[in-house]
Amino acid sequence: MAELMMPLRNVFQWVSEFPTSIAIRESLLFSPYLTVAHVLSMCLFAGLIVMMDLRLLGIGNMSAPFSEVQKRLFPWQMLGMGLSSVTGLTLTYSDPMRFYVNIFFWTKMLVMVLAGINAMAFHFITYHSVVTWDTRATTPLGARLSGALSIVLWAIVIVSGRLIPYNWFQN
Amino acid sequence: MLQGFFEAMGAWPISQAIGASIWIYPLVQAIHLVFLALFAGGMMIVDLRLLGYGMRSKTVAQVARDARPWMIAGLIGLVCTGLPQLMQNATREYFSEYFWYKMYWIAFGLILLVTVRRKVTQANETTLTGKVVGVVSMVTWTAVTYNARLIGLFT
Repeated sequence: MAELMMPLRNVFQWVSEFPTSIAIRESLLFSPYLTVAHVLSMCLFAGLIVMMDLRLLGIGNMSAPFSEVQKRLFPWQMLGMGLSSVTGLTLTYSDPMRFYVNIFFWTKMLVMVLAGINAMAFHFITYHSVVTWDTRATTPLGARLSGALSIVLWAIVIVSGRLIPYNWFQN
Repeated sequence: MLQGFFEAMGAWPISQAIGASIWIYPLVQAIHLVFLALFAGGMMIVDLRLLGYGMRSKTVAQVARDARPWMIAGLIGLVCTGLPQLMQNATREYFSEYFWYKMYWIAFGLILLVTVRRKVTQANETTLTGKVVGVVSMVTWTAVTYNARLIGLFT
């Protein structure tokens, strides 16, 4: 495993030596404010994702059809995703070796991929039949499963993200 | 007097117990963020509608009615996960300017929520007042989150 990870480790090591990476790392104010911006953009993204998931589960925002909730919230979710990606990538860029050795960082990355796969699966499979259940209070099992998975996976992303500073498992 | 209360709170057996465990505090802190996302979603879907964005095909009142239980659930979760953090860190929080900024903003936000915002979210369509309230509400809860995150980073 350690051997398989070597190229990745080298990339992280290489990036950590960039002058701009070092400059952000050594600045006292940049990282804290970047962290705050990351939390705020997470609120925009995850908050509106949850609002959509509740409609998918058939338990929230029920006065609008699902497609309506999805269509109207989508631009704002994407804005949140863009801002949290930029702030998150910059944070990682500024101190790659700190994140490389952190189990919570990799948990967060892995679960984000799973949440992405869940969203894609919903989009390409379940969403095709939306006209048959769009206005119904009881959504199909596939839709409810996607909604529940989305909430659980994004909650794990948030929790593991917040646990990154606690490096309990590091030597 | 208030300082004495915070010091006493930090000495409560339950506060000590939270502090003695290496994982309770971080986990509570992390779950606080999950409830923050729920609360933020329930607030933002309405504030965006007040500004004429987001769920435009529904009336302001409908969007607000739908979002209210989730916003309240988020708020209850935030209080339940916020208090243990305060208890464990009582003295540090007392001396943190950001903690007090956060409290002042929360007080303002809650008053706004149950007075003017409640009023404008009963209307069908948004007015100029509604738009102003939507902006003020977003700015207020952004300020709460901003100061909250700085407690840990700058204290």
